[in-house]
Amino acid sequence: MGALTHLLASLLGDTVARIALGVVFIMGFLTFNVLFLIWLERKVAGHIQRRLGPMEVGPHGALQTLADMLKLLSKELFTPVAADRYTYLLAPILVFLPTLCVASLIPVGPAVAFADMPYGLIVIAALSGLTVIAIFMAGWSSNNKYAVLGGLRSVAQVVAYEIPVLLAALSVVLIAQSLNLRQIVEGQSFPYILVEPLAAVVFFIGITAETNRAPFDIPEAESELVGGFHTEYSGMRFAMFFFAEYTNMLVLGALGATLFLGGWKGPLLPGWLWIILKAYGVILLMMWARWTFPRLRFDQLMSFAWKLLIPLALGNLVVTALVLGFAG
Amino acid sequence: MNPVLRVVRGLRSLVVGLGITGRHAIRPVVTLQYPHQRPDASHWGGPIELVTFPETGTHDCIACNACARICPSDCFDIEGKRPEGSRKMRATKFELDFSTCSLCGLCIDVCPTNTLQYSRRYDDAAYRRDQTVNDLLAPFGEDPYLAGKLK
Repeated sequence: MGALTHLLASLLGDTVARIALGVVFIMGFLTFNVLFLIWLERKVAGHIQRRLGPMEVGPHGALQTLADMLKLLSKELFTPVAADRYTYLLAPILVFLPTLCVASLIPVGPAVAFADMPYGLIVIAALSGLTVIAIFMAGWSSNNKYAVLGGLRSVAQVVAYEIPVLLAALSVVLIAQSLNLRQIVEGQSFPYILVEPLAAVVFFIGITAETNRAPFDIPEAESELVGGFHTEYSGMRFAMFFFAEYTNMLVLGALGATLFLGGWKGPLLPGWLWIILKAYGVILLMMWARWTFPRLRFDQLMSFAWKLLIPLALGNLVVTALVLGFAG
Repeated sequence: MNPVLRVVRGLRSLVVGLGITGRHAIRPVVTLQYPHQRPDASHWGGPIELVTFPETGTHDCIACNACARICPSDCFDIEGKRPEGSRKMRATKFELDFSTCSLCGLCIDVCPTNTLQYSRRYDDAAYRRDQTVNDLLAPFGEDPYLAGKLK
């Protein structure tokens, strides 16, 4: 790795080499992560339904998603005749880019983060809002009523749930006195979930909704909207949406672990392993919830966000501010 | 109802739900890994087959056509031949069209030599209708009576 860095640095210059290596490393890990998470999801679903899940390809079906990916790669890329062509082609790429940027901002150790920004949390909040634009582009450009409905629902949902997520994150920022993710982790002598349990619950519900997962999977509700915004996408373009969804789960799970579970901190194991384990713990809980709860109706979804989560998060923020103000 | 109480009850019901699925997740699976594992078919009545008697090592069909006569769906196609110096006929052709068989079992009841039975097969499959015709003599090979090896 050191020699490779040196070689690249001499060829491309220091900054470019750093970016190239970082992108390759993060992309590689994210690809592995998506293959692993889809396999894990199917295993969790199977065992909750008293089945084994995939068992045929590889030991305990571990290579099943790889086989599925190869199948998707070989499928025809279909574009509807009346589609808005460039928007349609751009959407699957754009849906993935913000998640990749956010992934590079998560600190994985006291000195290790691909990009370390003083206002990292704000950048993450801004970037993760971009995913919804790509989803709406996909829904709109497909020229399909189900896709448009799915896209519209997705926009309304993410706009609504972004607010409680940010309010919950803000109460952590108030305690840590910093927007830098590294400083937030370093400020946690014990995990913030113990001081801010309500914010942690609101944050968890919010990220479940933001990743469009059950019980908030209304943008792609199979029984109502066929496939939702990705109805008209096939082959690898469809896989890109899948890829983005699971990457988003990892990134938001890691963000939750950073804000509430102490990030890379933990005994014995190295820091990067701790943050991955904590993120996978959050994801496992999301999967567990997916195979337990029925889907919400759209009006229930909206009233849940605006009438319950936002007041709760706001009240929690005010109480946190007051307590901190009086305590010093 | 009091809205605070409603929220608390709602949250509690979510935890109860997670508890139920969580318990199921750690219980043993109830499915079989077919075709690696197969169910117990010992009480299953599948397509009709000929009995192999341990004394002779072969079936005892005398081509009397009793089964063909009683069959409500006309499934059978049987031909027989009398071996040299024997009083009993032997079947030379015994075909059962499973696509019309309703597994009623009348042929099993009527068989004078008790040489018909339900098989334990449960997963026969075919691509064309003519493949559903089962040749019941196929598992037996050369007939020892007709070959003169048994009297």
